[in-house]
Amino acid sequence: MNNFKRLIPDIDVLVPYIGTLLLIITGSVIYPQILGVDYLAQQLQIAAFLGLLALGATIVILLGHIDLSIAWVLTGSAIISTALVGTGDPILSMLSIPIALIFGAGIGIINGLGVAVLRIPSMVWTLSVNSMLLGISVVLTGGFNPKGEASDIMVALATSQISGLPLAFIIWMLVTAALVLLLKKTSFGRYLSSVGYNEKATLLSGVSTPSVIIAAFSIAGICSAMGGVLLAGYANQAYQSMGDPFLLPTIAAVVIGGTSILGGRGSIAGTVGGVLFITLLNSILSVMQISDAWRSIIFGLIIITMLLFQSLRKKRT
Amino acid sequence: MVLSSTPVVRLSGVSKTYGSTKALTEVDFSCFSGEVHAILGENGAGKSTLIKLIAGVVQPTEGKITVNGKELVLKNPSIATSHGLVCMFQELSLVPDLSVRENIMLGAPGTGFGWLNSKVVPQAESILEQIDGAHIRMSMRVADLTLAERQQVEIAKALTRNPKLLILDESTSALNSSVVEKVFKLIRKQRELGVGVLFISHRFHEIEALADRISIFRNGQYVETFDNGAFDYGYIISRMVGQRIDDIFPPKKVFNTEAEEVLKLDSYSWKGGFNNVSITLRQGQITGFGGLDGQGQNEVLLGLFGLLKNTAGEIQIAGHSVKITHPKQAKAPDLGIALVPEDRKTEGLVLEQSIARNLELSALGTKGVNALDPTIYQTFLEALELKCNSLDQPVSQLSGGNQQKVALAKWLALNPRCLLLADPTRGIDVKTKTQIYALLRRLADSGIAVLLLSTDFEELIHLCDDAHIFYDGEIVSHLKGSELTAENIIAASLNIQTGGEVHG
Repeated sequence: MNNFKRLIPDIDVLVPYIGTLLLIITGSVIYPQILGVDYLAQQLQIAAFLGLLALGATIVILLGHIDLSIAWVLTGSAIISTALVGTGDPILSMLSIPIALIFGAGIGIINGLGVAVLRIPSMVWTLSVNSMLLGISVVLTGGFNPKGEASDIMVALATSQISGLPLAFIIWMLVTAALVLLLKKTSFGRYLSSVGYNEKATLLSGVSTPSVIIAAFSIAGICSAMGGVLLAGYANQAYQSMGDPFLLPTIAAVVIGGTSILGGRGSIAGTVGGVLFITLLNSILSVMQISDAWRSIIFGLIIITMLLFQSLRKKRT
Repeated sequence: MVLSSTPVVRLSGVSKTYGSTKALTEVDFSCFSGEVHAILGENGAGKSTLIKLIAGVVQPTEGKITVNGKELVLKNPSIATSHGLVCMFQELSLVPDLSVRENIMLGAPGTGFGWLNSKVVPQAESILEQIDGAHIRMSMRVADLTLAERQQVEIAKALTRNPKLLILDESTSALNSSVVEKVFKLIRKQRELGVGVLFISHRFHEIEALADRISIFRNGQYVETFDNGAFDYGYIISRMVGQRIDDIFPPKKVFNTEAEEVLKLDSYSWKGGFNNVSITLRQGQITGFGGLDGQGQNEVLLGLFGLLKNTAGEIQIAGHSVKITHPKQAKAPDLGIALVPEDRKTEGLVLEQSIARNLELSALGTKGVNALDPTIYQTFLEALELKCNSLDQPVSQLSGGNQQKVALAKWLALNPRCLLLADPTRGIDVKTKTQIYALLRRLADSGIAVLLLSTDFEELIHLCDDAHIFYDGEIVSHLKGSELTAENIIAASLNIQTGGEVHG
């Protein structure tokens, strides 16, 4: 009986996938080309950028915190990686991706220290970090788009395909698998949701909760940096505001995926569904050539509907 | 006693089920105005559900509730309050981040559309004064109050609601006996005014002192009602558990004063909390920490578990001097300290998670313990007779006593050498208490040293080998063996010289 139950995924996880399917079906009635392999492959490629960000955001939200520095960790790592390639030095060029990821991890650690040690609410602390990163980048670049370019590896990671599947999507899935294993198989995964539900009781169970918080934020930082590197490879450049449109969709994807914004409950698999849903919704709305204003309104309405559905269902149980 | 003809509240044929669990089965029960009606029952007997039904927190699955002769549907707590059914819940209902004044005014009669009624504030102040709470200022933040002070505020808040029926659910559990006596005086005054009182407590002497009638519940069913004093203690317990329990406390053993030292504190101090605490704990010893609330006892336990910074003095574990800076270090096998904290709901357990997850949380990351091996918990869960559907059930669905069993078992699985317990039986029924006492004695016999903080002096007398009584952050008395008497404990708690005149 118990084993049988475990085979059926939680309905929270299924909701965004069902939503995605409905989008594809209704969309294809109006535009049959939506069912085309090329179109869907392209969606998966675009989803990968948002997907990497949302993976990191899920980890932090499971903890009961939030990371609002996503936009400028993304932009920062994109600027760093392209600038290093732009120097023309082959060694720096080789190191551009690892250095960008280390940058992401470093910002994550700063975020974690502020939240876990200085006890400043994550919403305020990470927003301040985001703002400082923006300032630093303006100081260093003079406010212009930084000179530089993506390396061949970055371009390949972001745009090439392996047997029809975009490589960016494969990377996203590999990171997803790694994080699922981390959450299911390690003590860290257990601690993460315990802290999300009740940090005090977790500390009193003899868990070093500050280390859990710092580790979670640095994983989020690395995910954002990966998104930045791939996006720079996709656009073949970095520019000042490239991360700005990503913050809200990232958090929306996590919440639509059934992760509680209050922490504790949620899943990586749900987030992946949320990312697919949001990416497809955006794309279909733009294919329909609806004006930007209406697109935003419809986008907002659909997200609210999904969330209402989730919370109403929870009330009933 | 003459009872008025219509009860304040009457339940007829009421059942309540949560999913597949039957919490109450076809209960017929009445409480009249002008009586103090005590409800007795062990864990899961349905007391909490009964109260939640009357207070409008949950609705019955079957049956009806009549208030003052009128059948009503109590859809939510504010409807219940508007009919004069006022409840003080076991989980205190104060908002921690608001001041005492704001909490008192919150939802007071005459409140609405953004208007607050400040008339209740002087009323609440005078009630607080009558129950030794004059030092609680209206401007204080509730989060900064001790548990006992919060209960006093809760009592004042409830009494300003013009109750017709006052429900006290373990509302005096953290108060010391002199304050409890004053609270009782107030309740008796309410009774004279014609208020009905439903009273739940696990302290028998409180029920003896206060109740007019007693109703017994067992396994979600109503058993019987009788006048207070009609039956003796033994009979009542046998009706509650369905069998006779001769002895609540396990027999004491002659304690070996030569046993190996486990824990030794020398002038252990923490600024603002406790001062100059020196104790020795040996294998097989159960040592009590007594005294009034908030005299520094709990802080000593927190310090030993690595939760306090800048403590002074020396801690020795098994003869080695150690510095304890983090709970993770404290629980490691080389120190082997376990703490079952005071508040199981917010400190001891992660309520939303399953029993299994909660059990594993302490064991994870401890050297030499395989947290995922369910057999390491099994012996303790069996010894405590944990009642649950499965270990995958969320802890929040368990009754208070069963929750405490989980909070205990998760630490016992680590085989600690020194077990720190902060009031582990607060708000818990007799049968569970008995199980916990028996287990603690067995653990001590197996060589564990137990440090038991308790507000119930019966525990200090009957369970502990010796007890340290705290007053204002210092140990004022160390009572051993036959010195452990109620008189000595009370005298020391109030810092009166023993042998002097004592008014208990």
